[in-house]
Amino acid sequence: MKPRHFTYVLALLGACVLFPVQAVRAESGRLLASNCFQCHGTEGRSQGGIDRLAGMGANKLIGEMKEMRAKTPGNDMMKVHARAYTDAQLNDIAAYFANVR
Amino acid sequence: MNLHNRRQFLRLLGASSLGALVHGCGGGGDSGTGDSADTGDSGSGGGTTPVTPPVVNVSGHVVVVGGGMGGATVAKFLRLWGGQNLRVTLIERNPSYTSNILSNLVLNGQRTLSSLAYDYARLRDNYGVNVIQGEVMGIDPVARKVSLGDGSTQTYDRLVLAPGLEFDLMPGLTDYQTIPHAWQAGPQTALLAQQLAAMPAGGTFVMTIPAAPFRCPPGPYERACVVADYLKRNKPGAKVIVLDANPGIAAERASFETAFNTLHAGVIEYHAAATIDSIDPVTRLVQTNLGSIAASVLNPIPPQRAPRLVQDAGLVNVNGRWAGVDVLSYESTAHPGVHVIGDASATTQPKAGHIANAEAKVCADAIVRMLAGQAPDPAPVTNSACYSPITATTASWLTAIYHYDPASRTMKPYVTGEAASITSGNYEDMFPWFNNLMADSFG
Ligand SMILES: Cc1cc2nc3c(=O)[nH]c(=O)nc-3n(C[C@H](O)[C@H](O)[C@H](O)COP(=O)(O)OP(=O)(O)OC[C@H]3O[C@@H](n4cnc5c(N)ncnc54)[C@H](O)[C@@H]3O)c2cc1C
Ligand code: HEC
Repeated sequence: MKPRHFTYVLALLGACVLFPVQAVRAESGRLLASNCFQCHGTEGRSQGGIDRLAGMGANKLIGEMKEMRAKTPGNDMMKVHARAYTDAQLNDIAAYFANVR
Repeated sequence: MNLHNRRQFLRLLGASSLGALVHGCGGGGDSGTGDSADTGDSGSGGGTTPVTPPVVNVSGHVVVVGGGMGGATVAKFLRLWGGQNLRVTLIERNPSYTSNILSNLVLNGQRTLSSLAYDYARLRDNYGVNVIQGEVMGIDPVARKVSLGDGSTQTYDRLVLAPGLEFDLMPGLTDYQTIPHAWQAGPQTALLAQQLAAMPAGGTFVMTIPAAPFRCPPGPYERACVVADYLKRNKPGAKVIVLDANPGIAAERASFETAFNTLHAGVIEYHAAATIDSIDPVTRLVQTNLGSIAASVLNPIPPQRAPRLVQDAGLVNVNGRWAGVDVLSYESTAHPGVHVIGDASATTQPKAGHIANAEAKVCADAIVRMLAGQAPDPAPVTNSACYSPITATTASWLTAIYHYDPASRTMKPYVTGEAASITSGNYEDMFPWFNNLMADSFG
């Protein structure tokens, strides 16, 4: 692939400029967030049946995770995963999904 | 770029989004000069503001052996995260992969084997993985070369082995052609299903479980339950005898005790700490520490080990059976440049498909960083999840999340959980989990 093709495609999508300052955090969250891909789809693009995380606002994702953490461990597998990350890790994960389009 | 290529590239962008986009922005050209770590002048390619840290733009050739749960995933994520100059070749002996996960539901007729088949078209077309159908016969870790059955070779900068398992022959058996273990989904699964269907009412299904570690810790108990449920409805008076080499149920103990002692009481007869002295494949008599047991259908799940290929390369250094690895990168502790993921490796994590997928991502990320001259992520996290059908309409589950523990240099369970009860809701949740997991692994 030649550089001009990237320029072409990127111009087409207007994509690079969308990039927020959070890119660094999103990058460090990539490997952590890949623990969600098995159930929520690669990069959070679910195949269906489980919620999509791609593009979810960071505050919404963190809020929902903390809500699920607070509930007593019950029958739901997701509640276990909600308790499996430190707050710092959760911030990185949330930044990652917020940046997926 | 012709129209076809452009469409393909857009599809790749669609499929991989920011990951590839970041690399596209950062990477730029295809100079082919073997440039390694980009220094962060990432604006050059797209002519836009630098937007991403210098994680990638690596070049090199990674060869992956085995296109199962671990191998397919590592090939996909190497392409997704490694940028356009990282070449990835996946060598798999079969034209498609048959999932072990859900294969117990072939035994009760709820799934067909073909519904569990995954080919490599998406890895090839959407992710640019070079897929070769072939058998890897040998590895030369010093010359960094693998040889294939057709006499060809592939040289690599880094090698990932994800060949799954090999099964020991149990005493008295010379193969598993008529007495199937069906612990690798395929023809043996179909044979076992046929044998169960042909079993007389009042017959006995005998299964054996090897000492841990083995592939899919809840799997054998799950199979006992699914078969018991099937026999109750189709073969009145039939029994399931479980001969377990372990001191007790090795996973999801609460759920399986409930299942054995209440739901399937009177059908499943469970024996812990059983030893198998010999199996007669003709008379189907099993000699055990409990005496001689006669089976109508016999399903020995054998002890397991890393395949011969891994042994021959000198990579087996844990208990004479498994490949020791550094779990920051899954690099072999015996040979640098070779990584082992999935069932063949020795870690504190279970031998399971969901965790093989997670290991593959840690390995892919580490390889990209190592090729760029960086260290692997020092604090990886992985997770395992498993749904176990207990009847044709109900299931339990088990999940665990592992954080790297620098003191022991192992993955330590950080949080674990099990289903509080056996429900039809769990059974229904199993399918979206399975579909997403398989799509995440095979593209
Ligand atoms: C009945 C059953 C139920 C299960 N249920 C679950 C579950 O619910 N959840 C879960 O997480 N796990 C489950 N598992 C476990 C899971 O299937 C395995 O742990 C997983 O497949 C291991 O992945 P792997 O990549 O190590 O090996 P595999 O998936 O076995 O892949 C190995 C691949 O390598 C290829 N190969 C090997 N040697 C060569 C060679 N020399 N050259 C070329 N190709 C080669 C093979 O053909 C194969 O495709 C279950 C297993 C069974 C048997
Ligand atoms: C083993 C499978 C599994 C894994 C791994 C997993 N999830 Fe989930 N998640 C689920 C399921 C199933 C649900 C739906 C739960 C429900 O409906 O009660 C869910 C729901 C959610 C929700 C609520 C969505 C909504 O809109 O209500 C969020 C947020 C979420 N998950 C985030 C995550 C994140 C972040 C990760 C990775 C750190 C993750 N999940 C990993 C299975 C999983």
